[in-house]
Amino acid sequence: MNFSLSFWDISLWLAVTAIILLITSELISPYYGKTNILINKKRLKNTALTTGALFLITVAIRIYEIITST
Amino acid sequence: MSKIRTSHASHKTRAVRHKISPTRLVSVFLLALGLIALAFSIIYTSSILAFIGLGLTFWGALLLYVGTEKYVKQTLLDPTITPSLTNLNQILTELKYQGKPTYLPPKYLKDFETTKIYIPKNKNTTLPTPETIQQQENKTFLKNPEAALITPPGLALSKLFENTLGKTFIIVNIEYLQQNLPKLFIEDLEIAEDLEIRIEPHKVAKKIADSASVTQLKNDIIHVKITNSIYTDTCKQARKLSYICGAIGCPICSAIACAIAKASGNPVTIEKTKCTEDAKVIEAYYRILEE
Repeated sequence: MNFSLSFWDISLWLAVTAIILLITSELISPYYGKTNILINKKRLKNTALTTGALFLITVAIRIYEIITST
Repeated sequence: MSKIRTSHASHKTRAVRHKISPTRLVSVFLLALGLIALAFSIIYTSSILAFIGLGLTFWGALLLYVGTEKYVKQTLLDPTITPSLTNLNQILTELKYQGKPTYLPPKYLKDFETTKIYIPKNKNTTLPTPETIQQQENKTFLKNPEAALITPPGLALSKLFENTLGKTFIIVNIEYLQQNLPKLFIEDLEIAEDLEIRIEPHKVAKKIADSASVTQLKNDIIHVKITNSIYTDTCKQARKLSYICGAIGCPICSAIACAIAKASGNPVTIEKTKCTEDAKVIEAYYRILEE
């Protein structure tokens, strides 16, 4: 009984989610005209950026591991 | 009988308050399903279930987080605003106030957070001193000099701008408005699709040559262009009201005038407003008066 996803699985999941959220957030951005989607676009954008940043942190950890292992 | 009615009304209010929207219901369902899938993924050590669980939990939580704002239909705006503007226009027309409405900065008033519109009874009347206005600030119709002192239709909107930006306009300058109002209008409040603010120095120079009055020589003209705002219908209606369009301004033009008056610290007038036939593009010209 343990959690089956590794750190790299989470990293991959974060990457996919970040891409989806960032594209969605850009597509419904008020700068390209008004949309009828009734959601808080600012919060969606912040979530997308946070997810993207989290993915980049996992990448940084990976790079750090590669550098220190050699 | 009235007690029964009151109880029935309060019961109805409670029922409405407890009604869960379908979006919220779906979000909670996704979240719960995701948590169950995560729990099962731990029990059965399944990576597929873990991915599904992680995804459902995340999207459920995200939907709950991004869908929390309350919205009203845009069609409600016009019927709510137009009657008060029509009333104001009618009052000023009947009382024959012919002077140019001027937005007063907070230094003319005791309350440093507000602005008011000063409308002189006669044309070509000079603006009185801040002390003179402060003495009669609580009155709507001033006796000496004869004028009206009214609350701008866009005052509350300009206060909303301040609250959203987290800064009072008294401590900022025009450049701050030029930089921050477009983002506020487009992204934060979604009032308009585009907003341009230009300070026109060349036009000022031209005015210097044309103008006969010395006090007008230093006046700055601020050109504001609003594209596809949510107030298009209100603007169409306001065009019929002579005191509102191009003088006091519709709520959006008035709110910008309040912001300029506060930021510049000088009285401001709306020189003219232009809008396209469908009212999608509104252009307003504001003049900052030097004292």
